[in-house]
Amino acid sequence: MPLALRDLQRAFAAHLAGDDQPALAAEVRPGAARLGIHRHHVLDSLASALAATFPTVQAVVGADYFRGLARAFIGGSLPVQPVLAEYGADFPAFVAGHDVSRGLPYLADVARLDWALNLAFHAPAGDRLVAADLATVPADRLPALRLALAPGTALVGSPYPLDRIWRASQPGAPADPVDLASGGVHLLVLRRPDDAVFVALSAGEAAFARGIAEGLSLEDAAGRGASGFDLSAAFARLLGLGVLAAVQ
Amino acid sequence: MTTTRFAIASALAAALVLPAATQAQGNMEKCYGVAKAGKNDCQTAKSSCAGTSKTDSQTDAWISVPKGVCDKLVGGKTTAG
Repeated sequence: MPLALRDLQRAFAAHLAGDDQPALAAEVRPGAARLGIHRHHVLDSLASALAATFPTVQAVVGADYFRGLARAFIGGSLPVQPVLAEYGADFPAFVAGHDVSRGLPYLADVARLDWALNLAFHAPAGDRLVAADLATVPADRLPALRLALAPGTALVGSPYPLDRIWRASQPGAPADPVDLASGGVHLLVLRRPDDAVFVALSAGEAAFARGIAEGLSLEDAAGRGASGFDLSAAFARLLGLGVLAAVQ
Repeated sequence: MTTTRFAIASALAAALVLPAATQAQGNMEKCYGVAKAGKNDCQTAKSSCAGTSKTDSQTDAWISVPKGVCDKLVGGKTTAG
């Protein structure tokens, strides 16, 4: 008996995601080969989209392995909206829970950096807060000020030298080895007019920026900085980098 | 205003009046990143034609050993587990 339309559609969707459906194959002649075209197309397109969004992960593990990793992810996490650049939000968590992270424990952090760069790249450029915007604010009111990070700005911390791992993964990078035990980093990912980039922050700067992101007043955010933290330099740096959102 | 809060107010205010050249350093700061090509093109560069492969090239038997630059990340094992 032919499948009802809704059952046919469900079976077809499951087939595309990699789950064989004998009842579906019986509907199509010659079934397996024709159905295979569609599955291949869907999975290949999504794997390519993930490779474009997570280029550093791909560089670290190689294209073949990445393909397999992507395929394992896709089966359980099909896109929920049509913009391929927004597909893969759950990929870093998937990598963290995958066997590959037992051997390459920094890989999930690499994925988080790739994702943050992807979000920054697609974030609106928009206005940024500059020092002159605050010139009219009396100094005694600055500590209570609550600011926000500009769209596309993200903090990515890691116990691994993520910045050096990233650089070593770029095309044409020298073959110099990276010492994974050389310490962690606090990276600030930001959107600039033509690209998405990251800079390394000190622990104090990162704590200050995180406090601002959480909605703390500048005074409370400053309290997150460790001893020896230079508040003036940190505030000037964030303003100079253009990572604070313009005050509405 | 407490002494602490005064110190914070002063430090924040000082950041606003740093010389323009110092402020601009943030914009000139060495950053790492790449300008990516737009990729909202539905990834169609090799879509229909590649899709006519009747067999899915990937099976569960995918190559299971990372072979990328993880080799030069010292301490990074190239096998899972």
